[in-house]
This record gives sequence, C-alpha cells and structure tokens, in this order.
Amino acid sequence: MKILDLIKTANHNLFRNKTRTFLTILAVFIGSFTIILSNAINSGVNDFIDKQVATIGGDGFIEVFPSAMYEQVSGMMSGSSSSKVKEYNEATGSYLSANIPEEDMEKLRAVDGVENLEIFHMLSTEWMRLDGEEKKFDVSVEYFPEGNFNVDLSAGRMTDSNNSEYEILLTEDWLEPFGISSAEDLVGKDVEIAIKQNAKCYLTPNDCLATVKAKVIGVQAPGILSVSGDLHINEALDSKLYELAMENVPESSIQNFIAVGNVEPDKLDSVREKFREIGYEFITIDDTVGMIRTFFDVILIVFNIFGGIALLAAAIGIINTLYMSVQERTREIGLEKALGMSKGKIFLEFSIEAILLGFWGSVIGIILSMIIGYSANALAHSTFLSDFPTFNLVVFNPINMAIITLVIMAIAFVAGTAPARQASKQNPIDALRYE
Amino acid sequence: MDKVIEVKNLTKTYGKKATAFTALKDINLSIYEGESVAIVGKSGSGKSTLMHILALLDKPTKGEVLIDGVNATKLKNRDLNKLRNERFGFVFQQFFMNANDSVLENVLLPLKIAKLSRGKRKKQAMEALKIVELEQKAKNKATNLSGGQKQRVCIARAIVNNPKIIFADEPTGNLDSATGDKITDLLFGLNKEQGVTLIIVTHDEDLAKLCNRIIRISDGKIISDQTVRKDSQKKASNRRESEAARVKKANERK
Repeated sequence: MKILDLIKTANHNLFRNKTRTFLTILAVFIGSFTIILSNAINSGVNDFIDKQVATIGGDGFIEVFPSAMYEQVSGMMSGSSSSKVKEYNEATGSYLSANIPEEDMEKLRAVDGVENLEIFHMLSTEWMRLDGEEKKFDVSVEYFPEGNFNVDLSAGRMTDSNNSEYEILLTEDWLEPFGISSAEDLVGKDVEIAIKQNAKCYLTPNDCLATVKAKVIGVQAPGILSVSGDLHINEALDSKLYELAMENVPESSIQNFIAVGNVEPDKLDSVREKFREIGYEFITIDDTVGMIRTFFDVILIVFNIFGGIALLAAAIGIINTLYMSVQERTREIGLEKALGMSKGKIFLEFSIEAILLGFWGSVIGIILSMIIGYSANALAHSTFLSDFPTFNLVVFNPINMAIITLVIMAIAFVAGTAPARQASKQNPIDALRYE
Repeated sequence: MDKVIEVKNLTKTYGKKATAFTALKDINLSIYEGESVAIVGKSGSGKSTLMHILALLDKPTKGEVLIDGVNATKLKNRDLNKLRNERFGFVFQQFFMNANDSVLENVLLPLKIAKLSRGKRKKQAMEALKIVELEQKAKNKATNLSGGQKQRVCIARAIVNNPKIIFADEPTGNLDSATGDKITDLLFGLNKEQGVTLIIVTHDEDLAKLCNRIIRISDGKIISDQTVRKDSQKKASNRRESEAARVKKANERK
C-alpha cells in the first residue's frame, strides 16, 4: 500500500466507530487546548511586554544600588539565604544607611560606557495646581536623565535637562482635572507644585510647604508604560524641589542610595562588572520586566503540566482505543496479510491511526483555542484594552502550534506502538480463523 | 504442462516434543497449470493446513514448496507477500469482507496492497465485478449484499489481480445449493476460459467431483490422488453453460 492509501485507510477506519474515536480525540483535545491556549496567552503577554519595552526605549537605563543593599533587597524578594541575620559591618554600616558618596559617583561615572548618572531624589511633593486656579491635585514627580526613552507625545516636547527653566511633562490624564480640552492648549501653561520642607515641618507642621512654578512643556499620550508612573520633570526643577525639601536638614540624615542614569546598551555587561568592583549593582528595564515575564512563565509551566497530564491520560485512551480496534479487525488484518500486506505496513496502518487521533485532537484544540482566543481579543479591544489597539491578549504563534501538534502526534505514535505491534504480529491463518 | 506448485517431503508439526501433533506427514505433490484440484478430507485431516502451506500462508516444519520451480520456503517475507499478492487469489467460506466498505473498495484491496494507481485499480476492479455480474453494486456497502452476492464479490476480489492460482476454502459452504451452483460455475468458468489453476478445499463430494483431480487426505497423509477422465469432466461442465463465458459472450455482442 502506498503511504497516502495507508493514511486514507487509517482515517477511514478511525471514523468507523465514531463515538469511541470522538471520545479519544476529546481526551487529546483537552490536553492540546490547555497547552495551546496557555502558550498563546503567554505569547500575548510577552508580545505586550516586548512592544512596550520597544515603545519606551530606554535600553540603557539603569537604577544603581549599593551592593549591600541590593543583596539585602533581592535576598528578601527571593527568600534566599542572604536575607538571614548578618553580622554588623563597621566599615559599610547598615545596609539601610548605605549611601552613595560623591566620590563613588565620580568613579561610577568614569566607567567606560556610562553616559550619565545622577543621584535619584525621592521628592515628597504635596500637590499641584494650574497657576492661578484654586483646585489642588495629588501629584508625584521624578527626574532621571532622559537618555534614549521614546516618549509618545500628544503635544509639545520632552523635558530638557540642559534648560535652566523649570519644566514638567504631564500626561493626558491631567486634561480633564484641569478643565482643558486639548493637549496643545495645556502645553505652555504654568503649574504650581508644593513640596514639604522637612526641617521646617519639624518646627511648624502646619506651615511648612514651599511652592515652585514650572512650565508644562509636553503632554504624554496615555497608556504607555512609564518607569514609575510619576510625572517627569527636568533636572533644574528636580534640583530646586530637592533643595527646598532638604533646606536646613543635616547632611548626616540625608539618604541617597539610588542613582539613575544611562549606559550604552551594548556595554551593559562590562559596566555591570566594573560597578561590582566598585561595590554597586544595577537593574535595567529588562530586569524589571524580566520579573513579570518570569511570573507568567511560571503560570505557563503550571498550565503545561496540566495539559501534559491530560495528554498522558489521552495517550492511555489511544492505547485502549487501538487495542479494541485491533481486536475488532483481527480478520481484516488476517485478510490483508493473506493478500500480501507486509508486517511493516500493518504496523504503519495502526500507527497512523494513532497519530491521526493525536493530529485531530490537536487540530480541534487549535481551532477552538483560536476561536476563543480571537473572541477574547475582540472583547478585550472593545473594553479594557481599547487604548491599546495593537495589543492582543492572546497571540497565536504558528511555529509553536506546529511544534505542539508534532509533539502530540509523537506522543500518540508512541502510545500506538504496542497495539500496532500486536496487529502486525498476527498470523494470517489464526487471524482468519478467529471468530 | 508446467508444474505450478510442487511439494517435496512436506511435514507440518504443531507444538513441541510431548504435545507435538503432526498435521501433515511427508507429503509429495505436484499441481500443474490449468488443473482444477479438490483437496478432500474430514475436518482435522490436515486439508486446510495443506492448503495454507500451498498458499504460502504457513511454513512447513520440514520439506519444500516450489512455486513455478522457485523454492518458496527460502524466500524472504517481502517476496512471499509479493508472490501471494501477484499470483494467488483467495476465496474463503466466511467471505471476509470489510462490511463498511463499498463493494468496489473490497474488490480492489489486493491492488491497493500492490500499490497500483487509483485509475488502474478502479478499472481492473470494475472488470472483475463485470465477470461476477455485480458491476451495478459497485458502490453498495458490502453488508447490504446477500450471501451469494458476497461470495461473488469475493471471487471478484480473488481474480482482480489476474492470479495464476485461486485457492478456495469451502467456497460454497455457507451458501444454499442454487447460489452455490452459481459460484462453482464462476470458478470453473475461470478455470476453463482463462486457464486459472483452481485449488478447492472441501468436504463436499459433489463439489469435488466437478474437479479434474481429487486428492483425498486423512490423518495428514494423501490416501488417494486421482485424475478424472477428461470426458466425464466435460460432461460435468457441459451440464451448464459457464457463467463467465456467458457474460463474456454477452459483452462481445454489445
């Protein structure tokens, strides 16, 4: 028999006992569906993260911490041994008081590949309002060297840290509270920002706010992942706000343990090594995003295990189905053998039947998960993802699906070998005598 | 005439040592081209075993089987399969048809195994069905046929590959005498018109008498091997016009 004839015969035989075949395929389908859909969701999440990272850029953006603190923090997060009680070190002090002294900043800035590096100021701003208006709004702002971030602007421009004027970048979210209809109209407006003066607040808690006026130089489009969710300001405004906050605060109680800056993206590895020598660690956007990825990867693994268990059960179903089929078709096998069909071809006939069970199971899995996936995408786009027309909740990767289908077919083949061997070993005379 | 099958010192033993059972004992036999041979014996006499060995479905414990002078006992499985597929046709008492397949599919199975192209298969299968007068039923499911029709389909399947030898195991055993006669007419028609060697295993004396040679087997041994005189053979066949010949003539007239 030709291979094509074998496949046709096997497929034909498969649908002789429709209920049994359907149930076996259903078992395969449960496994394939679980695996295909969870992979598609994972692809969707990764695709989203990739697109967002590509959108915001900032490949070389780093957040720098003293090593002692980094270890303590990452140790606490991962639950590793470094979170255990440690002996106090006179030289380095507590990890909490791990400051980045100016001389270290100089060393770090001098490392080849570092474009810029600044101490990150945590600014506890109190409120912001449109200049001349009464209504105040909660606000948090931050500054980091601009680097190669691609900010999606609906109007105006990105902040410029070479400019000595105070600049702030707002988001479209501020249009409505400020009662302004278009982003263009917001650009150029002045805002007033209030910040607590720490030392003064110690003495007169009810009267310790200082205000600064800044110019809105740009408006950011909504929905783009930002580094922290805070509004971006330029260096001049950052320095001014920090100066006001720290006025009269003794040097010894100021803590600066994070530096932010930009590194040439292709030199990240060498910079990381040099920073370690000096006693610092950094994380990149990829590291931060990597944690999200890891989280979803773990979920994927869990679902794949579920799918794998379902497939294992399905494989046993395939074995059972084929044994029954061999039993029922003993005479047919005998006849085929008498008419000159070889052992190998009989084996192949039943193996193909097993493979087809796997094939149909995964094809139905693909079709159904695509229907559900695309419906979910459509639903998401009309509701909570309406701001992200390019983002799909579920992304189907043809190569992944092909690999999954092939793996399932391989599992089905392995499951089918025992019954197929039994069929191929039958003696034509005994088979024909079989009643 | 050429020897199509020759058997030398054939012995077949089942089981081992103490429980061994010898089904065939030292059989020597030659079958010539164009003969119609009846192998007659009671059940358990070894007649079926002999047929299985002649048809290369089973291997002898000792001795040789030569098909057209070639020692089949020394052939590889692949060549055995090919030999059976190309030169033999089989008709069984229980038909052995794939009930859910169409009549046509059943008939062309040997050609499918022989890897013939789709077109050739169908053409040859339709020709074979014409000979058994069932070309109208080609598309019917095999289950929907009567017993006689089923056996005619089996004959069509047996001749579809233009075999040199047809093995028939109790071909009329499951049929009433009228339909049985039709089947025997078909088989002997093929024997006479096309020179196909016919080997029939039966315990039916009437069927055996239609053959020109009767080999009687008892307890694994040939107890008689008689070739019937040609004229009596003729008489038997002249009683009815060969079914196959009649069809052929009818077709020629068209």
